[in-house]
Amino acid sequence: MKKEITRTNILKKPGVQSLISSLICIILGLFIAFIVLLIINPSGAFTSIMNVIKNFLWFKNPSSRLKYFGETLVKTVPLLMCALAVLFSYKVGLFNIGTPGQYCAGTCAALYAALKWQWGWVPCVLFAIIAGALLASIVGVLKAYLNVNEVISGIMLNWITLYFTNATLTAVKNPSSKDTLTIATVNKAALLPKIGLDKVFNDKYVTIAIPIAIIIAVIIMIILDKTKFGYELKATGINKDAAKYCGMMEKTNIIITLVISGALAGLGAAFYYLTDFEQWAVTQSTVPAMGFNGIAATFLGGLNPIGTIFASYFIQHITAGGAFVDLTKYSSQITDLISALIIYLCGFVLFMKTFMNNMIKKSDAKHHVKEFNINDEGGKK
Amino acid sequence: MDTPYAIEMLNITKKFPGIIANDNITLQLKRGEIHALLGENGAGKSTLMSVLFGLYQPEEGVIKKDGKEVKINDPNDANDLGIGMVHQHFKLVECFTVLDNIILGVEPNKHGVLQKEEARKKVIALSKKYGLMVDPDAKIEDITVGMQQRTEILKMLYRENEILIFDEPTAVLTPQEIDELMQIMRNLKAEGKSILFISHKLAEIMAVADRCTILRKGKYIGTVETAKTTAQELSSLMVGRNVNFHIEKKPQKLGDVVLEVENMTVASKSHNNNAVKNVSLKVRAGEIVCLAGIDGNGQTEFVHGLTGLEPLVSGTVKLKGQDITKAPIRKRNTSGMSHIPEDRHKHGLVLDYSLENNLVLETYFEPEYTSPAGFLKKDNIRKTAERLIKEFDVRSGQGPVTIARAMSGGNQQKAIIAREIDKDPDLLVAVQPTRGLDVGAIEFVHKQLIDRRDSGKAVLLVSLELDEVMDVPDRILVMYEGEIVGEFDPKKTTQEELGLYMAGAKRMEVKA
Amino acid sequence: MLLLIQYTLIFASVLILVALGGCFSEHSGVINLGLEGIMVMGALGGALGMRFLPIGIPGFFYILLVLLFAILVGVLYSSLLAVAAINFRADQTIVGTALNMLGTAAATVIVKAMNTAANPNDVSSIIQYIEPKKKFIVYFGSFEFNWFMLITLIILAGAWFVLYKTKFGLRLMACGEHPQAADSVGINVHKMRWSGVLISGALGGLGGICYILAGVSEWRFEYGVAGFGFLALAVMIFGQWKPTRIALAALMFGFFRALSNTYMGFGFLQALNLPSTIYNMLPYIISIIVLALTSKNSKAPKAEGIPYDKGQR
Repeated sequence: MKKEITRTNILKKPGVQSLISSLICIILGLFIAFIVLLIINPSGAFTSIMNVIKNFLWFKNPSSRLKYFGETLVKTVPLLMCALAVLFSYKVGLFNIGTPGQYCAGTCAALYAALKWQWGWVPCVLFAIIAGALLASIVGVLKAYLNVNEVISGIMLNWITLYFTNATLTAVKNPSSKDTLTIATVNKAALLPKIGLDKVFNDKYVTIAIPIAIIIAVIIMIILDKTKFGYELKATGINKDAAKYCGMMEKTNIIITLVISGALAGLGAAFYYLTDFEQWAVTQSTVPAMGFNGIAATFLGGLNPIGTIFASYFIQHITAGGAFVDLTKYSSQITDLISALIIYLCGFVLFMKTFMNNMIKKSDAKHHVKEFNINDEGGKK
Repeated sequence: MDTPYAIEMLNITKKFPGIIANDNITLQLKRGEIHALLGENGAGKSTLMSVLFGLYQPEEGVIKKDGKEVKINDPNDANDLGIGMVHQHFKLVECFTVLDNIILGVEPNKHGVLQKEEARKKVIALSKKYGLMVDPDAKIEDITVGMQQRTEILKMLYRENEILIFDEPTAVLTPQEIDELMQIMRNLKAEGKSILFISHKLAEIMAVADRCTILRKGKYIGTVETAKTTAQELSSLMVGRNVNFHIEKKPQKLGDVVLEVENMTVASKSHNNNAVKNVSLKVRAGEIVCLAGIDGNGQTEFVHGLTGLEPLVSGTVKLKGQDITKAPIRKRNTSGMSHIPEDRHKHGLVLDYSLENNLVLETYFEPEYTSPAGFLKKDNIRKTAERLIKEFDVRSGQGPVTIARAMSGGNQQKAIIAREIDKDPDLLVAVQPTRGLDVGAIEFVHKQLIDRRDSGKAVLLVSLELDEVMDVPDRILVMYEGEIVGEFDPKKTTQEELGLYMAGAKRMEVKA
Repeated sequence: MLLLIQYTLIFASVLILVALGGCFSEHSGVINLGLEGIMVMGALGGALGMRFLPIGIPGFFYILLVLLFAILVGVLYSSLLAVAAINFRADQTIVGTALNMLGTAAATVIVKAMNTAANPNDVSSIIQYIEPKKKFIVYFGSFEFNWFMLITLIILAGAWFVLYKTKFGLRLMACGEHPQAADSVGINVHKMRWSGVLISGALGGLGGICYILAGVSEWRFEYGVAGFGFLALAVMIFGQWKPTRIALAALMFGFFRALSNTYMGFGFLQALNLPSTIYNMLPYIISIIVLALTSKNSKAPKAEGIPYDKGQR
């Protein structure tokens, strides 16, 4: 009997509930993907889904493992920043689906500054932050003053930014391919410093971006939980009218939130493209998936900045793992499918939590029969 | 048909986790009578009606129609049994016409295509028969609350319901409209309809009902014939003790002018006219001024203009002689104005915040709660919350950390009042502060308002409840269509006189 | 010029179909942000139909079958939104976004799997439909008339009639405006909302197949539908949730979209010498401007986006 009580107490904690919900989403997402693989071709399905889960562990050799772990981390950084961008705005009641566009703007700014203007890495990063923030501020202003649905304006700006970026970066394109020039060949000063991390991982793309991104996640958590600023932003997000009533500048708060959110996305782009790990293809026909996967990481992380770190890593882990499916039978987009499924399943998290709470209430009701209290319950119908 | 009862609810018991909302309640409605159901908020009236409409299944008890036991599983079953209800909050689609609202759910149609002509004829015939003139082609959003209520009544009549339930139908009406409604109810009774009239207003019950069933704290107290009882007796049955309707006030000591509004005009959100037109008024220290009127005559917009939620088209607002016409809300909040908002869920609380976070909603930025670096001082917030919870007797499941959403309406209101009064404001703007509260809580709120007055501060009360308008303030201003049309001393006027001004039938020149 | 009209009409047809889909869903009270994904899935359904149906089937039935495939897949796919948003009260924004991502991902995976199965060396996500496409097109001189233009017109009239003249339409709109009122008169709100979402799935699916048929004779499913689902939502908002105004708004948007395909044919536009990027951006820029001008006084259904819970009266 005693055991049962302690168990329900743990279940009551929102953090535990989030974790359980997220795990359910992951397991279901992987399971459905497995079914899809089975349908496509039963013979290699299990190996392929396991390879997705293993990712770099697929390699036998420890130093290769370490190297590919490092590369997964390199790609986790922009994802984490995008996830934090989505999370920050979501806490304030805004769904910043313009994150991919802001990420794109950051890319455009960072690469153009690095390749065309030959700036050092610090100004390049700052420029990317400003670009993302400016783009997001358009969404904010439209939302705050003209009541434009931020999802639709965000999507429209994603496309506009994509076309703009492709056109702009054509100027710094490698003449013999569709990709932009590598920074290492043009302007080494724009590469992010590595402070020895590249040696640890035996991979030249591992930079200070990784520790900084984690620090930023922690800072975001502190801002949201411990500061006056966070108190205001969350109040605005939950109830804009009450925020206005008690004298908060609710319109300014909406804009500031989106500016910060866009800045995070822009920073994410700088943290990625200034490593030289990947170049921008100027013929891209869709905005980078990074921003959209950020949405998955945000919700999978239970809308908690620290949870988001792990969720981002997980999403990137399986996305990278997509390269290890048996490509003669399946396509690597199976991991996009998993991310999308996870977001879809995250829509049910609220229901899962309500379900858990109801279970707890039922077992509680058995233990205590509360006295009839007229003030608290009677009038609520 | 060998029973005189149209509907009987016998020994109904309905439990929720940890609470018995209806404890062995019996209600018998005779054919062709007006039967009142009396009880405070939380007495179990709405639960009982939800049982009747099949929204809840009772643990014990039976429902009989014409003496035969029936099972009601959902509102459709209730409709089929001829039971109809005018809800307290109307169930009308605002952008539909009156006719569309009436036929919704029972649309005359050929292969799914609407046939509105016959419906229109039937509605017009019904409105003539019962004296319920409404334009069937008007949109709900364009007609008065009284007309909307008539639409609700026509909805029941169109469905040929025999048993009509009115849930607190007079709360939103003027005294004149109330009289008309009473007459309509008598007409309906004369045509053989059986009426269940849910109310906590004793005068109305005495005026129109034949019998009255009283509930208290979920329990059945009794059923009495109104002809053989008095309002005083009903009230003590309802509350369980003698209620002191009279409010004690010290002799008035008027001070300086605290609030001075000159020629305020505020635009309306719903139509092109201004909602507030050229209103001027003054409130002095040591007085309670009540802005009375029917809902939707510009009181809301006036308060929004006053507190800064909406910009003014023209006019000035002065607080203690200082012009705050263009001051931001924060400035008003910190320079002596407090505001108990009309809509506690929309404006008054951040429902998903804890009680303690809600209690510092207007002070969180003060050095007491925020360090210079911008970090919240959570210990101080907790201390203040605990003090206010104690002083104002705010009850909640887990004290300061209770999520506001989980609290009862009365305690949410108490939390807002605690927050606003704790600022010790020079001017307290209280908009419908007692709406939805039970008698005990209403007494508490009124006492708080009068304490403010007695301690030499100013109070502007906005109220729709005539009892409150007559009892609490020192001065009454009546607002009609955005203008102040009358000023009264509550000791020298009557509800009927106020009603004429509130309905726009009379007006006088009022100087601020 | 003729080309511009032709492109305007076909793009407007896509937008009208999809915006009407959004319109039905929102009138029932569910915000459907997943239209983009629904379009992709509808396009997939139609494209698979074209790939596998024997080309010998007479034109009329062939077209009908392809449409049915697109509708069927669209409806099935939209039920993912319906079950989450209506029965499980999920956040409609999250679920809609998930459907968009899932649509492209799933279509790509499916098409690639089929291509690879047919030919191990083919890892593309392309479906070709050169012959079938011809069945959808009739030439009036040099004007390429697409049957979808007529189909859209019929659906537009039908949508108007259903919304304003039938019992179903009245009930549907009541659920989006005031579900408690609808429930109190015995209307099953969940059922009406399901209907609204499934209709949006059908129309979204149709819009999807129409969209890919407006282009060349093959489709690469990794591309999705380039934000057309969202453009349609902008059209719907600009059209104030009314079919007639939606049609006008769609024509305007269609025109700007068509311009990016045909501006080379206009001497004076060519003379301006604007980069083609500008024309590509144009529909999206216009939609933001239009939203900025119209969102303030939007006539959105009052209860849209709010899950209906019978317990909360």
